[in-house]
Amino acid sequence: MSAQPPAPAPAGDGRSTYLPDFCEARTVLAIVLVAALVAVVLALARQNVRAEFLTELARVSVYLLWTSLLCAALLCKTRPTLAGLSLRASSLWALAIIVGTVAVVSECVYWFGRLWAAQLGVASSFFPERHWSFLLPNLAIAAIVGAVALRYFYVAFEWRRSVELEARARVRALQARIRPHFLFNSLNTVAALTRSDPSRAEEAIEDLADLFRVSLNDSRAQITLREELEVARIYQRIEQLRLGDRLRVRWQVGELPPRAIVPSLLLQPLLENAIGHGIEPLPEGGTVTVDGHVDGSEVTIEVWNPVSQVARAVRSGNRMALDNIRQRLELVFPGRSAVEVVESGEDYRVRLRFPLVLGNSEPVDWK
Amino acid sequence: MTRRAGPAENAALPMSANPSSLESVRVLIVDDEPPARERLRSLLGELDDVVVAGEAANGREALEMCAGLEPDIVLLDIRMPGMDGIEVARHISALDDPPAVIFTTAHDEYALEAFEAQAIGYLLKPVRIEKLARAIRRAARVAGPQLMRIAELSQLGRHRSQICARLGSELRLIPVEDVFYFSAGQKYVTVRHRGGSDLIDESLRALATEFVPEFVRIHRNSLVAVRHVSAVERSTDGHYLVRFKDCPETLPVSRRHAAQTLRQLRGDH
Repeated sequence: MSAQPPAPAPAGDGRSTYLPDFCEARTVLAIVLVAALVAVVLALARQNVRAEFLTELARVSVYLLWTSLLCAALLCKTRPTLAGLSLRASSLWALAIIVGTVAVVSECVYWFGRLWAAQLGVASSFFPERHWSFLLPNLAIAAIVGAVALRYFYVAFEWRRSVELEARARVRALQARIRPHFLFNSLNTVAALTRSDPSRAEEAIEDLADLFRVSLNDSRAQITLREELEVARIYQRIEQLRLGDRLRVRWQVGELPPRAIVPSLLLQPLLENAIGHGIEPLPEGGTVTVDGHVDGSEVTIEVWNPVSQVARAVRSGNRMALDNIRQRLELVFPGRSAVEVVESGEDYRVRLRFPLVLGNSEPVDWK
Repeated sequence: MTRRAGPAENAALPMSANPSSLESVRVLIVDDEPPARERLRSLLGELDDVVVAGEAANGREALEMCAGLEPDIVLLDIRMPGMDGIEVARHISALDDPPAVIFTTAHDEYALEAFEAQAIGYLLKPVRIEKLARAIRRAARVAGPQLMRIAELSQLGRHRSQICARLGSELRLIPVEDVFYFSAGQKYVTVRHRGGSDLIDESLRALATEFVPEFVRIHRNSLVAVRHVSAVERSTDGHYLVRFKDCPETLPVSRRHAAQTLRQLRGDH
């Protein structure tokens, strides 16, 4: 158990970069919005100097949108190349691309203005009149803003990576925590069955193997709901051998889409908590209910168990498992998932809500 | 190991204490999981001079069987629903002629450290037959104070869920939540509960420490359950009286305890 494979590097094989993917629709939208806002700010700041506010806004917007979208396109295309460079080299190249784009766009604007003036015979106030006093400040602004933006991307990237690392560390801690009791109890059950019912002992070992394979997997793995339900059922089978009639599980999951994507080990820890804190302390046992339904594009899964008065106090392990699930759902569905606990006098209920995202094909994962 | 040579070992058990006896050692198996009981039964079946006296699936059954079957050794699982193994052992240790106890567990870091410190026998599941045989040869009674120490160290069995009273050979388990009050007499403590009242051989001081804060001392010789108190009344002569919801008796509050009693009872209501 202790011989774990080394954790894979967080973002793949070292060819990672802190630059966001500029081809992504969300990033492009963000760039357009930021450019528009900056244009408004600049127009507001300048309007009493001369031109009208709207003219000023149009002028600055056109310029900023051209530059920013061109920058995004170039960075999008060069991103794979930049990813191969060192941190310093890729940052310098990215900055060079930004400043270079600004230089080219500014030159184009200036010469287009000159051409326009030559055609009409009058200089339009829409275009810059003097060459160097237009170009040089723009380059300086591009260098400063570019450096600040890169710094921001870097910090955001580092922050996200540390959150991911922490989540992974928690999963490992959780794995280490769930093991001993369950493992030794299961081995004891298998030892007993080996004498009395060898074929069931064999099944139990196969179930244990499947379960441990999943829990030793990469903790970032995403699997389909069908697989996750299967893991939870395997877990139930093992506990059933040990607890006999005391454990009853009601599965109301027929409505759940089998192909929905979930982080691995989403339900099994909930079932484990429900059995450990809910059923085991009750001498006569009880029923754990797993209920799932889909409402539009949202999946809701609830797991609830009767509450034992005695075990009410011991809840820290439980909270740790819930925090862990919350964090991993958040990584897969940022800002769109929820883990809620509803505690009444008689039962303890955990409700998971997350968006329905279907996997594209039948998985080839662990089975 | 050195303590084996001491006279204290006389308390320790049947085979060594009584080598001339040809009788088998009678073992009671206590575990809530059927496969775990099954495994111990089949292992014990392979040992000479050992017979399984009975099997219990929870603490209550275990205590009844201890009183009825009088086994020599109890193989006692620590993690059980209702009453855990440590609490069962505490009740067992209060019996007149208590059997020896060997604890069994799949994994219990803190409890095991405590057992080591108190030199109390335990077995890890899955149990090996050689270790089982050795544990049975060496099995010894476990004393109440040792168990108290374990309860403190391991967070297990710290507050008993039941009070155990004896009527001759009969054993009566009283759930703590049914107890209205304890009152100390000349020699014994009376437990007044939903089912009547019984005598137990425990000190009021120990009970008070164990059941803080559910029970409050209102007098040198009485300890009342906060949850059952309905009112604290002032009598005409200036004394306070505690009245219960489902119990007709009233108990006087001593002057010394009055202020504190009122604070604790009112704070909780």
